[in-house]
Amino acid sequence: MMKNVMEVLFLLMLLFTVHAKEKSYNPPEKPALTRCRSPEKETFTCWWEPGSDGGLPTTYALYYRKENSETVYECPDYHTAGENSCFFNKNDTSIWVNYNISVVAANALGRAFSDPVDIDVVYIVKPNPPEKLKVAVMEDKGWPFLRVSWEPPHKADTRSGWITLIYELRVRLEEEDDWEMHLAGQQKMFNIFSLRSGGKYLVEVRCKPDHGFWSEWSSTSYINVPDYFPREKSMWILVAAFSAFIFLILTWLLHMNTHRLKHCILPPVPGPKIKGFDKQLLKNGKSDEFFSALVVPNFPEASPSKYEDMLVVEFFEVKEQELMLEESNDLLDGGLKYESSRSDSDSGRGSCDSHTLLLDKCREAKEERQTNRDGSLIEKQIRQKDRKEEAISPDISSGRVKTWPSLYSPLPQYGSNPLDKQSSLEMAKQHSLSISSFLTQPGTKDALGLSYMDFCLSNKQNHVHPQTQVQTRSNVNISNIGHKHAPAGLHSPTTQYVEVQRVNKEDMVLLQPVLSRCGLIEDCPHLPKGEDYSKVKGVDYDNRLLLQREGTGEDMCSGMDQETNGERGNCYTTSTVSIMQKPTACIYTVMPIQEGMALTLNGYVDTANMGNLPSC
Amino acid sequence: MTVMQKVIWSLLLWPCLQTVSIPLDCREDQGSLLRCPSISQEKLLDRVIQHAELIYRVSEESCSMFEEMFIPFELQLQRNQAGYACITKALPIPSSRSEIQLISDKWLLHSVLMLVQSWIEPLVYLQTSLNLYDVAPDTLLNKTKWVSEKLISLEQGVVVLIKKMLDEGLLTTNNSEQGLFQYDAQPEMLESVMRDYTLLSCFKKDAHKMETFLKLLKCRQTDKYNCA
Repeated sequence: MMKNVMEVLFLLMLLFTVHAKEKSYNPPEKPALTRCRSPEKETFTCWWEPGSDGGLPTTYALYYRKENSETVYECPDYHTAGENSCFFNKNDTSIWVNYNISVVAANALGRAFSDPVDIDVVYIVKPNPPEKLKVAVMEDKGWPFLRVSWEPPHKADTRSGWITLIYELRVRLEEEDDWEMHLAGQQKMFNIFSLRSGGKYLVEVRCKPDHGFWSEWSSTSYINVPDYFPREKSMWILVAAFSAFIFLILTWLLHMNTHRLKHCILPPVPGPKIKGFDKQLLKNGKSDEFFSALVVPNFPEASPSKYEDMLVVEFFEVKEQELMLEESNDLLDGGLKYESSRSDSDSGRGSCDSHTLLLDKCREAKEERQTNRDGSLIEKQIRQKDRKEEAISPDISSGRVKTWPSLYSPLPQYGSNPLDKQSSLEMAKQHSLSISSFLTQPGTKDALGLSYMDFCLSNKQNHVHPQTQVQTRSNVNISNIGHKHAPAGLHSPTTQYVEVQRVNKEDMVLLQPVLSRCGLIEDCPHLPKGEDYSKVKGVDYDNRLLLQREGTGEDMCSGMDQETNGERGNCYTTSTVSIMQKPTACIYTVMPIQEGMALTLNGYVDTANMGNLPSC
Repeated sequence: MTVMQKVIWSLLLWPCLQTVSIPLDCREDQGSLLRCPSISQEKLLDRVIQHAELIYRVSEESCSMFEEMFIPFELQLQRNQAGYACITKALPIPSSRSEIQLISDKWLLHSVLMLVQSWIEPLVYLQTSLNLYDVAPDTLLNKTKWVSEKLISLEQGVVVLIKKMLDEGLLTTNNSEQGLFQYDAQPEMLESVMRDYTLLSCFKKDAHKMETFLKLLKCRQTDKYNCA
């Protein structure tokens, strides 16, 4: 029985203790000070986090101590700032002073002290967000921008300098997520550029003291940016109009210069400019008809003149050496021979034969000849049976009879047939001038004058250079042919190359001595520089080519009236030896060919022997 | 140039000569009574405030740099342990807003002057102490050197300001201020570091005080009744 009572009591006691343990009370846990903040550097608040209260009602007390004294004060205000907080008002707040603060939790069973915290009010300032945020859209030369303005939190005394605040704002479009941050410094106004037109923007601003914490972001301000697109559009329209205008101008220019461009890009192939040349006939393949068509009445001239021979002689002389080099079937006509001469493509030939010129030049000339010979082959074929000459000059083919055709080149004929040569000469003369002042008299001095003109076509042209050297050297062969009056004084053939400068409106052929060749060579002793060209004045009734000399330079008395009176020539020139002379227009008539006369058959006056001639 | 031209030019340039001859910053010996007529009181005050702001900013940078490098995190919170109290704690300087609102302009200026003068020597000591460090970065040394130099010019400015504003006579450098700062000749390493850290942080605080006082003073010049 006693045992049973004892057991029951024991069980009851156990039950009690168990029951008692479920409701145990403990002293409170240690609280912790979470933070202390001052909004304006004049007051501050501290918050703490209470621990477990141990089941018993617990009270919390905050005690603080200033740095210089040992006095412990208790928190003056537990309620203003809410629960678990302590508010220090102005009177209790000292700046630049370290506070040592701690919180004590107490209940019936015990007390708990938090860890102490040292703070200086100056360093715990977290201001309120800025107030009265205003956003407006403004325009700067047509481009809009946002003007944001705000005011500092009303509690912070920035005016007196007690607090210095710096601001920061952020902007974003309504539909986007990323903010664009802008630091505004101490100013209370800010401009935001580079906006997107037609968008809705959100703006917020916050502030911070020079040492402290950032405030919270202010309330958001919304703003709509109006459309300003038309500005951009008008600029594009302007650009488009301008480019169209430029394009039109270019097209017009192109159109105006098609002709020239065509010549530039696709130089026309020179066509035959032979009187009576009929392409159709050629195509038909009936050569007889074709050739008969080419025959021009009154050609060749029947009446020979004694000058012909002379002319011929000259030709032969000049090109005689070349004959060997030519093809054997080259003897078709004298007229065709010019091809080869053309193929020589340089007047250097003559000059090579000239004693006065350097040998180097000869080599060049020969090389050129070689190269150009092939080019002339084709042309040769065409002219094989014919004496017509083609215009070599591409200019002619282009329709501009600006230069004399290379008809003159054929003049240096060295065919064995004097007659041929004569005729070729005539041909040359005939065809050379597409103008009325064409020399019909074969072998006349006129022809001479014309025929002995050299071409110094530029090397740019692919054609053969129909530079026919005017050679005025006497040759033994001349005598063989039976010519007298071989110009003896032609030892020093001051070969002058004349190129047809142009044919002007009055049907005047303007000749210009070719200087290019000489320009290459250092010493061309007898070739005066700055020479003038002789101008064809006209053809008189006697079929004389009247040339008039202009300016300085060699005189070219090509108007040779050797026909009748050899004495008639009053071809006077100014002293030819000098290089630079005053331009004078001298009109030459025929200069009789005399012994020792410097007048060359081709109408050139050999400067070396000009002493005989009266001067203008 | 003829004599006549010279005379005319000199007459024309006479005002310029006058102004040129007087230095603008009025940094003379403290014993002179020379005033600076060329700069107005407002401009001088602005300039002094700028000085103080700069000094504060640089000292703040130096302090945080030092803290990062030499002070372990645990010790950073305990700046005012016993024995390392700020040297200027004994000075009668207002330390709360309400106090400051009560004191006069004169007292504000004098407080600033006191602060400045009391920090000149300790900063020199700080400089020598920092030079002894092996790993002190040059920027830190340069900053502290700059601060000590600027402080001297700030002192001069405040002296002139006092003369201008308060029409007081010269204030000689107080030799009694030197007593505030005493240091051991051969401190231990840790002590040395802690001492330097304390110096830096205290100076930072005092620089802020100077800046605030001067700004308040400026506010009072313009608007006496709304300022603090």
